[in-house]
Amino acid sequence: MTELSSPTPRWISCPECEAACREVPLPPRAVLHCRRCGVVVRKSTRPTSLQPAWALATAGLLLMVMANVTPIMSFDVAGNTQTNLIGTGVITLYKQGYWPVAGLVFFSAIAAPALYLATVWYVVAACCLARPWPGLHRMLTWAEILESWNLVPVFALATLVSVVKLDTLGTVTWHHGAIWLAVLSICAFLTSQLFDHRMVEERLEELA
Amino acid sequence: MNSPPPIPSSDHLRLQTCRALVIAGIILYVPANVIPVMTMTVVGRVEPLTVLGGVEELYHSGLPVIAGIVFLASIVVPFCKLATLSWLLIMHGSTECQQQRATARRIVHLIGSWSMVDIFLLSVLAAVGQLGVLASVVAKPGAFFFAAVLVCTIFASESYKPRMIWQTREPLET
Ligand SMILES: [Zn+2]
Repeated sequence: MTELSSPTPRWISCPECEAACREVPLPPRAVLHCRRCGVVVRKSTRPTSLQPAWALATAGLLLMVMANVTPIMSFDVAGNTQTNLIGTGVITLYKQGYWPVAGLVFFSAIAAPALYLATVWYVVAACCLARPWPGLHRMLTWAEILESWNLVPVFALATLVSVVKLDTLGTVTWHHGAIWLAVLSICAFLTSQLFDHRMVEERLEELA
Repeated sequence: MNSPPPIPSSDHLRLQTCRALVIAGIILYVPANVIPVMTMTVVGRVEPLTVLGGVEELYHSGLPVIAGIVFLASIVVPFCKLATLSWLLIMHGSTECQQQRATARRIVHLIGSWSMVDIFLLSVLAAVGQLGVLASVVAKPGAFFFAAVLVCTIFASESYKPRMIWQTREPLET
């Protein structure tokens, strides 16, 4: 135990309550909990690479384009058909005079997830390639803010609910866009899980 | 060593913002649930639907599971979020139930975004419901209030940082 302890103990702040926790060398598979709020402050087994997050963010950006340009489904009643994209509802709500609602849908279903993936891509790519690109710290802050607006999975659920509802009124046909939307939801979720803020911060310090 | 760390002045602003947003959210929650969010025309029959009305309709079309999900996401979740945030604000600065408050905040933060499901549902239904008298969906003023409640709760829970639960007047035990 004595040989493990570092000569100068480092203090790290708890990500949740910001209490100062003393960093002790951890045995394998151990976790350091915050003494005040109990949140995991540090794990000894942490992902060693940001490459998976980079790959997922890249895939996510491509899927974002595909999901937004491919029709998701069409609804048919007595020979009249209406097909929709993610953005169709935004335009319809805007035309009906509900522009704040349209704006909210546009921001949380299209703009914020795209910006989130783009900021994550930028920061992670800089870390993986060891390039000190400009504005990395600001981008990291933005990624943190946009994370809670990453609502593609919620939109996918809403699409599923609407299809089930519409199915009782007419004929619903799925299109390829639905597949892109489903894969994008998984991809966006996994990106946020694999994107380790702490590790990125450490890498950025090394870069500077 | 035993004196409490000074509370940054930006946290006072955060606290005030959160209070204002929670009060606005509670007030808006009433019209959001009473005023119809859309009208649905099916084969010439026009039907105004509130959020709860939409859930009931799903239930009666033989989709109890889907109805349950929408009920939880669009009525229970916003309510729990407003209730939890009120609790956090009322208890702010006290040393009681800090663990419980931290857990409640974490849960609410995790499930909070699912309340957007009803707004997205309106958007998808409005997009394909453009078939005139056969089937059409038109947004109604309730949608404004509902969207406003969601925006208030999202920004309120963003402005109350978890560290603020642990800011007390009393010195920390060390
Ligand atoms: Zn803590």
